Parts: sequence; C-alpha cells; structure tokens
Amino acid sequence: MKNQTPYFLLLPMILLGLLFLLGIGNALVQSFGYIPAFDMMDFTLRYYEEILQKPVFIDSIRVSFVIALVSSVLAIVLGVLLCAVLVYTGNVRGKVLQIIKLPILIPHTIVALFIITILSQNGLLARIMYALGLLDTQGDFPTLLFSTNNVGIIIAYLWKEIPFVAYFVLALMASINTTLGEAAENLGASRLKTFFYITLPLCMPAIKKAFLIIFAFSFGAYEIPFLLGPTLPKALPVQAYVEYMHPDLRHRPYAMAMNSIMLLITLAMAVFYYWMVRKNIFQTGGDKDDI
Amino acid sequence: MRAVEELFGPHSRVMSVLFSSIGLSLVVAVLAAVVGTMTARALVFYDFMGKKFLSFGSVLPIIVPGTVFAMGIHVVFIRMGIADSIIGVILVHIIYALPYTINIMIDITSSLGDSLEVQAHVLGVAPRQAFSHVTFPLLLPGFMASISIGYIISFSQYFLTLMIGGGSVKTFAVMMVPFIQSGDRTISSAYALLFVLSTLAVFVVIEACIKKFAFWHHKKE
Repeated sequence: MKNQTPYFLLLPMILLGLLFLLGIGNALVQSFGYIPAFDMMDFTLRYYEEILQKPVFIDSIRVSFVIALVSSVLAIVLGVLLCAVLVYTGNVRGKVLQIIKLPILIPHTIVALFIITILSQNGLLARIMYALGLLDTQGDFPTLLFSTNNVGIIIAYLWKEIPFVAYFVLALMASINTTLGEAAENLGASRLKTFFYITLPLCMPAIKKAFLIIFAFSFGAYEIPFLLGPTLPKALPVQAYVEYMHPDLRHRPYAMAMNSIMLLITLAMAVFYYWMVRKNIFQTGGDKDDI
Repeated sequence: MRAVEELFGPHSRVMSVLFSSIGLSLVVAVLAAVVGTMTARALVFYDFMGKKFLSFGSVLPIIVPGTVFAMGIHVVFIRMGIADSIIGVILVHIIYALPYTINIMIDITSSLGDSLEVQAHVLGVAPRQAFSHVTFPLLLPGFMASISIGYIISFSQYFLTLMIGGGSVKTFAVMMVPFIQSGDRTISSAYALLFVLSTLAVFVVIEACIKKFAFWHHKKE
C-alpha cells in the first residue's frame, strides 16, 4: 500500500501531463502533413522545406528571436539591478514588494493597452512633449507601435519582465547578502566587489532560470505581438495562427511546422539549461535550494 | 459615458460574463492548487521510478509556448468532444497553472518536512486526520499563494481560451481584447479597470476566506 501512495498522489498530474504531451505530439505529427481528418495521409518533410524557403517565415523567426533576445537580456540586467537596489536598501518585504508584484498581476493584454495609451503618436507622451514644445507636431513623435522596429513590443515585455526578474531573484539574493555578503564585507571587501565577486555569481542559478522563462515566453507568446506588432513581418506565433486559421485547411501543416520549430528552439534552450545547471552542481557544489 | 453604457447598460452582457469568468477561474485555481499539493507531496516525500522525468515534465508548460500546445490539442479536443466547452477550457488553464502551483507547494512542503505528521502518526492519529488537522493548516499560506497565482493565470489567459473555447466560452479577457485591438481606448480602459478591480476584490475575498478557515480551525482544536 505504501508504495502506491506516490502514484495515487501523482495520478491527476500525470493525466494532465499526458494531455499536454498529446497536444504537443499532435502538433508534431501534423507538421509532417499527416492529418487523417482532412485525408492527408502522407508523411513528408515538404512543409518544413517550403517554409524554410519562404521569406515571410524567415522574417518571422528573425523578428521573434530579436524581440525575445533584446527584451530578455535588458530585463535580466535591469531586473537584477532593481533586485540589488532592493536588497541593499533593505526593502525585501513590505510595501515596496507589493508594488513590485503589481506588474506581475497585470496581464499582457492590459499592458498592451497601457503602451498604446502612452507611446502611440497621439498618446500621452507625444501630447506632453508637444505641450512642452519639444515637438513641432505630434506626428514628429517616433512611431514605436505597429512598426518594424518593434520598440513597443520590447517595452511592453520589459514592463512585465523587469519586476518579474527582480522578484524571482530577490529571496536568494537577500539570503546570500545577509550571510556570505556580510561576511565578505567584514573581511574587508568593498560593497561593489562583494556584489560582483560573491553575491552575483551565487545568484546565477536563479538568474539563468529567470532568463530561460522570460526568453521562452517572449519568443512564443501571442498577445503582445498580436496587439502591438506591425502587419509584416509578424512574430512567429502570430504568423502560425494566421496559417492555422487559413480557410484552406491544407495550410495547417505550415502552421504546425512553424510551431514545431518554436518548440524545438525553446526545448533546446531548456535542455541546454538543465545540462548547464548539472555542470554547475559539480563546480560550485550547490543549487539555489542548498543555500 | 459610452464606456459606462457598454459595461453596465441594460443590454450589456459584460457583468454576467465577468461573474461567470470569475467562477471559471476560481474553479481552475482551486483544482490547480489541489493537484499541485498532491504532486508536491509525492515529489518531496517519496522516491519512485521516473521521478526526475516527472519533475522536469512539471515545468514544461512554462517553456513550451501556449500557441504550440493550443493548436496541437485543438483537434484532439474536437475529437473528444470537449472543444468549445467549459471543461476543455478549464483543463488547459489547469495545465498552464500547474507548474507554478507545484513549485510553490514543493517549496513549502519541503520546508515543513514531515516530522510533525510523523509525530501525529506515532501518537496514534489516523493518516487522513493527521493531514487535515496538522499538515494542511501549516500548508495554508502556500495553498493560498497557489490559488492566487492559478486564478491570475486563468483569468488573464487570452489565446488558450480563444482557441479552446472557440468563441462559445466567453471570458472577460476574451471579451476585452477586441476593444484593445480596435484602438477604442475609452472602452478598453474601462474594461481594464474592471479587470484589475475585480482581481483585487477576488484576492481580498480569498484571503478573508482562508483567514476565517484558519480561525475556525484554531477554535475547533
């Protein structure tokens, strides 16, 4: 009886997990053009070959990659900085923390609305700058939204992700700072040196995890590029959904091939991360949980 | 005024959608928290085959883009007859909330340990009572955090709901997005305000319920 307990406890999670794998597996199978419901019975790599030659698709993948990389790197740098400020000023709990948590509670769709209200050419910022005489006409305000520079999308992600990174790293950094950080300072190391040589390296596991999460999210999320992106080139998830909803059902394998490529890239990152963490365990002798 | 009419006018379905949407997300939140608690107990207290694989699998929904999963599962759900249904939407929402609830519950379960529960066993308390009287009250803060995060994930979910609900399951987020997309700032701001206020109100109610439960439990002891 005792041996069966874990399986009983895990049963609902395993069933839901199977459903999850079924969804992903189905997307993969369809990407090879095997959809019996539409009388498509061939197993072929044709769809991958075709989309990899289409400029529309190549542009999509490039755009998604750039958005994810730029927003994630900036969010990590600024988020860790914010976290360090919170730790060194002693604001690790209480009101300040509640304010940090607020952006995490607000969904991306509403963030998109904020960004439109503030950054569009007839938005708040343009009006304020015009009123202050900084702009000749409101039209001189740079187009940040619905444009190919994707600045609006990146700002929207930053607004969500900087507080997320800070919150994600906070507990670990606070505990390291009060133990090893203060020890180093007592031994005569300067604050800056302590931060870069002791605290930051020990926080790396959490920082890497945070990077993985936000990169995978901003690479594969639909809402923000759908609401703030240009007509062309569309971000990968948006382009995949366009193909999925194409009136000609034979377009579906294209959507699924795009999905598989997204899946491949995000999974490769996850596997790389776990491989890296594993190596780290041998090098520094501990993960976040051991400290 | 146009926004007030849209939200509260006599022909508006907004309020009824808001309440059914809150209900749906609460169901998702509680189920995700319960499954998260069960999974965490299994992963923390037991050793079994495939444990590493399962704990890696439990974080996958954070990494795999929702679009990939939603488009893949759509046909499966159509075949199972749960596409365009509340059941289908609840299932996919739970799947995307689970990594977070499992993570929270693992943290609190492993920090509590099982020594108190073992003590209760030794003193002759039945396992089920030991859990409900000793362990569960101590897990409450984590359980509440799980419910909150599950709620917010479900309530703000747009793409998954749109795909799986197929327009027949209308949630507040699904209703709000077309206004943001069309650039109607007045109405979409009103929606956004209602969204945030209702979320805060739900959180206050959840917290009050948990406090009441803890108090009641304490008195009973």
